[in-house]
Amino acid sequence: MDAHAHRRGVALATREAIVLPLLLLTVALGGGFRMMGTAGQLVFLPPSLMSLVLGLLLMAALFRARVLQPERLMQASRPPLANLSGAIVLFALFAASAQVFNTTTPEAGLLQLTFNVFYVLLLANTLAARPDRARLLSSLMIVLGSAFVMKYVVLAALYDQHGGITRRVLMALLEGVTLGGLAFDTPAPATGYVAFFTLLCYLAALILLPSADAARLDPASAALTRRGPDTPLVTEARHADASLPLPLPEAGAGAGAGTRRDPDDR
Amino acid sequence: MSGRFVSATLVRGLGLVLSLAYAGFIIWLYTMQPRTMAEVAGGVAAGVGVYRIDQASFDEGLRFFRADKFVEARNAFERADPAKQHAPTQFYVAYSYLRQGWGRVYSDDALMKQALAAVERAVAVAPGGVVRVDDARVTLKTSDELRAEIERNLTREVSDFNPLKVFRERP
Repeated sequence: MDAHAHRRGVALATREAIVLPLLLLTVALGGGFRMMGTAGQLVFLPPSLMSLVLGLLLMAALFRARVLQPERLMQASRPPLANLSGAIVLFALFAASAQVFNTTTPEAGLLQLTFNVFYVLLLANTLAARPDRARLLSSLMIVLGSAFVMKYVVLAALYDQHGGITRRVLMALLEGVTLGGLAFDTPAPATGYVAFFTLLCYLAALILLPSADAARLDPASAALTRRGPDTPLVTEARHADASLPLPLPEAGAGAGAGTRRDPDDR
Repeated sequence: MSGRFVSATLVRGLGLVLSLAYAGFIIWLYTMQPRTMAEVAGGVAAGVGVYRIDQASFDEGLRFFRADKFVEARNAFERADPAKQHAPTQFYVAYSYLRQGWGRVYSDDALMKQALAAVERAVAVAPGGVVRVDDARVTLKTSDELRAEIERNLTREVSDFNPLKVFRERP
């Protein structure tokens, strides 16, 4: 049992200190990557102020849905090194959240404004709806996936100078509609591939964020979170890695994925 | 028990080092804005002190430069220093733009702006922020002099209309 708890402690430390920061920092890197023109010139676009605001809103939504549980990353009872790696995860998550919007939003013009308004409304709606972890992750997958398809497939095809079957089909569907003065720089194919990989990394990182719900779904970690009213909070696994946080009240038995109690309601 | 604690601590320590190094690399990319993969690779190599220029191409560029074949010289310098991390090479690139754009009656502003960009690249990668070349065939031997001359050529002032200006020496 000790060996199992030890392995689990190391696995958790690996996820929190290595896997999550590297995934999130990769998103922060890839989110601003652009390849310009046929010469293949690289550009690393820092997040705009609006991307930072949207990133903060997304962090709030993640917190509200308990996808992000800061107390599982930083807590007085954790060792300083564990708190430091938790702080890095939080910082990297913010940078990655901002860069995800950077990569899925057109760089300028009316289209950028439209995308930003769309994101603000969606995030405000998400904050008001208070979805649970699973629903927020599904919703984010749809929102970010749709924005990716819109920017890198639909708009890229519409504005492609050489044309193509997608452009012809879209123009046939939008019969009589012209693009007018709507400006959009068609991204190089490499930009789209990097953006796709970046979004996958971001969603994978969100799924891997430490949370009570995720721990409950993992049979190996049942000992960490399953407890009755008289069971002590400190478990054997906690001894193996002092950085493990205390199980949260809402992680208790009977709290289903869709019936989570909001921390504000307690 | 302490061995187990150490192993989790080691993982966290390793993760911390990796994360900070990776974050530093990302900040460098966004700050320096390398334009090509060669510049990325060269920048990383220069960061760890293993960047070397192609000396043969540099010497060839210098020969072209001294023969006033500036376009050929810049092509050779580009081969010698693809990552634009070698201060003297960038200094000569700037100098080639200056000499090509310099004229007795007027200067080519487009070439002067490229000269200014090149001298700024040279200063950015030079230890101490200044480049000095030991070359008897050039008048301007430091990046400070070179930058000042380029800026003079880019500035419009009353002395530009002095007819005696046509007798000035080429830098």
